[in-house]
Amino acid sequence: MKTLEKMRAAMRRERSLRRMAPDIVYDPDLDTSHGPILYLENITVSFDGFKALNDLNLYIDDGELRCIIGPNGAGKTTMMDVITGKTRPDAGTVFFGQTIDLLRLNEPEIAAEGIGRKFQKPTVFEQQTVHENLELAMHADKRVWPTLRARLTGEQRDRIGEVLDIIGLTAQCQSRAGLLSHGQKQWLEIGMLLMQNPRLLLVDEPVAGMTGHETERTAELLNSLAGQHSVVVVEHDMEFVRSIARTVTVLHEGSVLAEGDMNEVQNDPKVIEVYLGE
Amino acid sequence: MRLFPSLLDNDRGGRIFMGLLGVVCVLVPIFNLAVPETSPFHMSTYTVTLLGKYLTFALLALSVDLIWGYCGILSLGHGAFFALGGYAMGMHLMRQIGERGVYGHPVLPDFMVFLNWEKLPWYWYGFDQFWFAMLMVMLVPGLLALVFGWLAFRSRVTGVYLSIITQALTFALMLAFFRNEMGFGGNNGLTDFKDILGFNLQSDGTRIGIFLASAIALTLAYLACRYIVDSKMGRVVKAVRDAEDRTRFLGYRVEQYKLWLFVFSAVLAGIAGALYVPQVGIINPGEFSPINSIELVIWVAVGGRGTLYGAIAGALLVNYGKTYFTAAMPEVWLFALGLLFVLVTRFLPAGIVGLLRRRGAEAAT
Amino acid sequence: MRPWRGLAAVLAAFILLLPTLPAAAEEADYDFSAAVDALRVKSYADKEVAISALADTGNDRSIEVLEGLLVGRLFYRKSDQRMVLAEPQDVDYEIRDAATGEPLGTTGKRKLKKIGINNKLRKHLRGTIARLNLAHNDPAVRMAAVKEMMRNLDAAASDLLRAAMARERDVKVREAIRSGIALADLDSPDAAIRLRAVTDLTGSLLPEARNRLSGLAERNADGSSSGPDETVSLAARKALQSIESKLALNRLAETVFFGLSLGSVLLLAAIGLAITFGVMGVINMAHGELIMLGAYTTYLVQLAMPNHLDYSLFVAIPAAFLVAGLFGIAIEQGVIRYLYGRPLETLLATFGISLILQQLVRTTISAQNVAVSNPSWMSGSMEINPALAITYNRLYILIFALLVFAALLAVLKRTSLGLQVRAVSQNRAMAKAMGIRSEWVDAMTFGLGSGIAGVAGVALSQLTNVGPNMGQSYIIDSFMVVVFGGVANLWGTLVGAMSLGVANKFLEPFAGAVLAKILVLVFIILFIQKRPRGLFPQKGRAAEG
Repeated sequence: MKTLEKMRAAMRRERSLRRMAPDIVYDPDLDTSHGPILYLENITVSFDGFKALNDLNLYIDDGELRCIIGPNGAGKTTMMDVITGKTRPDAGTVFFGQTIDLLRLNEPEIAAEGIGRKFQKPTVFEQQTVHENLELAMHADKRVWPTLRARLTGEQRDRIGEVLDIIGLTAQCQSRAGLLSHGQKQWLEIGMLLMQNPRLLLVDEPVAGMTGHETERTAELLNSLAGQHSVVVVEHDMEFVRSIARTVTVLHEGSVLAEGDMNEVQNDPKVIEVYLGE
Repeated sequence: MRLFPSLLDNDRGGRIFMGLLGVVCVLVPIFNLAVPETSPFHMSTYTVTLLGKYLTFALLALSVDLIWGYCGILSLGHGAFFALGGYAMGMHLMRQIGERGVYGHPVLPDFMVFLNWEKLPWYWYGFDQFWFAMLMVMLVPGLLALVFGWLAFRSRVTGVYLSIITQALTFALMLAFFRNEMGFGGNNGLTDFKDILGFNLQSDGTRIGIFLASAIALTLAYLACRYIVDSKMGRVVKAVRDAEDRTRFLGYRVEQYKLWLFVFSAVLAGIAGALYVPQVGIINPGEFSPINSIELVIWVAVGGRGTLYGAIAGALLVNYGKTYFTAAMPEVWLFALGLLFVLVTRFLPAGIVGLLRRRGAEAAT
Repeated sequence: MRPWRGLAAVLAAFILLLPTLPAAAEEADYDFSAAVDALRVKSYADKEVAISALADTGNDRSIEVLEGLLVGRLFYRKSDQRMVLAEPQDVDYEIRDAATGEPLGTTGKRKLKKIGINNKLRKHLRGTIARLNLAHNDPAVRMAAVKEMMRNLDAAASDLLRAAMARERDVKVREAIRSGIALADLDSPDAAIRLRAVTDLTGSLLPEARNRLSGLAERNADGSSSGPDETVSLAARKALQSIESKLALNRLAETVFFGLSLGSVLLLAAIGLAITFGVMGVINMAHGELIMLGAYTTYLVQLAMPNHLDYSLFVAIPAAFLVAGLFGIAIEQGVIRYLYGRPLETLLATFGISLILQQLVRTTISAQNVAVSNPSWMSGSMEINPALAITYNRLYILIFALLVFAALLAVLKRTSLGLQVRAVSQNRAMAKAMGIRSEWVDAMTFGLGSGIAGVAGVALSQLTNVGPNMGQSYIIDSFMVVVFGGVANLWGTLVGAMSLGVANKFLEPFAGAVLAKILVLVFIILFIQKRPRGLFPQKGRAAEG
């Protein structure tokens, strides 16, 4: 907890990063008074008898940065799918704050509640420019008619410019997203997440295909986001996890195997067994 | 008026097309009405009507390009909306015949008298009023698209599934309209129209008038489509086309976007059908046949989808080819059309517009 | 060597005896011929004797001669007094020798003299023919005779039936005779016999039984029975009820059969599409035209072997499979391969191919429908009971469709191609990584699916018109089946095809054929609201993508 406090303090000082989190109004019903912002309880998902998630229980605190690791097939991506409404669980409950039942909402409604997601495989709109990609992601009224009439305000243009700065794509702003390199697409997607400015960020393997320097920058960025936002990161890169993680959750065969800080988890005999085999 | 030029600022193809259409709209009435028939420059009314028909096809192609080129919805049933608009217009023209029908019944159209019907079915009420018929021209296709689209998009029917379901829709409508009991003239459809708004449909002046109306409708529809695709909504729609799921996770209600675009497109198709019917003088269930709908998709593909003006160019070109071939060597036409399908999808995925652009880019470097 | 020697001895003996056999036959023929000639007598009384004598010869041809006499086709030639059976042929008559059946060419009307009969003789003839038929060796002939007699039941017929009942061994014929006797007994003056007859007719599906019983069961305006006897009328009402419910059951069975028959056609048409769509994710809009090619192959095969129509289908099936399969592979290699990952373009391109194939058939063969004949074993129908008959062509096609289904299932489950096909359809990228040549699998799958379309064409040529447009209507129906059943699941296709077929046939009586079709389409559009992936969806992460 001490590290968390320290990071928050650091972020308050860091003015350049501060800009990325302007105050925006979310659903006033979002009630995080008990601490956690996300409650996953007794979630089970099965595909043709195979249990991708098996009675999973997971809580994410408001403002927390949580890393989730686990071997292939542990259910990490399925868990993200459940939270964002892509997959409906066979059993269990998912609550955003105290009151918002995510299982009653569809994908866009969940996104509108303030949950953003970066996919494992970077999916940007390849036929459109970087600028347009960011504009599409921007937090705004996303109903049809307002979108038809929407014109970018100066404020919004500035905001896009800031994010372009952060993700280092200002020069490519008018080029088609499909022409970007893999790492640049990863950045663009992170940028889109920033434009969405969600309350909870779900980030699936953000540093795959990035150089060491870029990885560092990503770590820095995610760290700075925690506090005002809650961040859940799924990652294989242990170095990266070590560099950002405060709390680590290990998933195995669809349920939580261990939870704690990096050292605790690494010394847990169950985790060692799963990762190194019998 | 300031709005129109600004819409076309970044649309060279659109400006060229608008310019050409403007020139044609000035020249056609002159060559048809002012130039005497003996002159080699005289344009026959037959040609005027043919051009007017092409313009309605261009409008239809535009409506398909809007949803296919920009939103990735390949509708193989757009002919149904076209035909419904046509039927709405046909019903109005039918009621305008009045006592001049073969049986001379003051209210009932000939085919109803022939079927020994006693009175007008309720859904024929109101069609004697022009404004009501025009409302129906847009409302009927729009409502069908709304209901159908709501059902289809809500359950996330996409890709080839959606294409075939739309084809099934138009097929079902064709079967239904073939039935005499439906009250739309069955096999023969609606025909023998006399006049529109009091003007004789056979006269040169009326033909020119409808031709100009088609041109104006096409222009307005083009500008409306350009406005939509250049707006943020257009960018959302393109995003849906390229990565539907991703768009959903950004918080857009993808179904709504698809639905309204589909409805708008259906209304355009309906208007095209309504302008088509008085020019060809008949509407029958054959217009619903699936092959018509799929043929019009190839107009768009030939021109180049996702450009709007490409769809118009494709519609004009392919239809000119059709007119030429079916007159000169009818047995070759289906071979040519079939080959066109294969060659365009295989070698010209971006259509003629794409080819020209590539040439242009090569020339520039 | 021994068996050969024995066989040779038997053969030799047979050959030696051969000349004596016709001699014996000739003698019998001579007697019969004399009996036929005897019909030429003038007096009707003598004719009656002659008729009985002819019947007593026991010759198989006597029935034909007597029937000829009954309908006025028995003549004698004025020139040589020869008895002949004559068929009117335009102006002339085509004649055969009455005694031997030997054709004698055509002759003018004037050269013949008809053997006349009167009403009394006519009645006698009917009875005699019926008696002969009732004693015939073939149960089908006896059955037909009983049915014929039921149309006109009188005391004589009833006596004949009773006599026949005593010797009849065949269960079905006995059943028919019993019904016949009961029908005759309904007119008996004895109320007890009438009552027993009514009881005997309970559950009979004969139309005559239903007509007679409903006559007996009728009520007068005051509710009393119109028949002479209250108990008989009551019994008749009960019997009628049981008949009605049995008839309803039969109508249900018939509807189900027609539905399954339509389902089998849908299955044949859809199953090839299901494979290609399931494995490659593309819709082959030319699928219907491949069916058409199969039907035309049947036509060409029949043209090539006009004298062996009965076997033509057995040649046509593999031929159609090959023709359509090769066309399919050509389409895949020439077009679809290049459009991989662009399913909508594939749809358009294959539609273009379908136009080309249609026009090809129009220009090379004919724009008109062509006549494909049914082999003799495909025509006719199997009568299960008097109210339910199943036509052989529908029955065989149903069986054939199930066989094709089973064969395909076996190919997919048991062969290495099947394993690869399943692997590619479940996860193409992974299958490729495992070293499966997915291009080859695509081509083979497409060939297989197209080949089955061709085979479906052979079956369809036996049910519907064969013309250049025949394929068009199948693509929508087949796709509906695939959507309904679920992609990449053959069982889904089977269940989908059969249930859509049956649903269609059940709706038809209420809504009419066209409306039934529309209703089914609407149903499917609504169905995919609830089950977007069909009845038997493919689950798992790969399917989610």
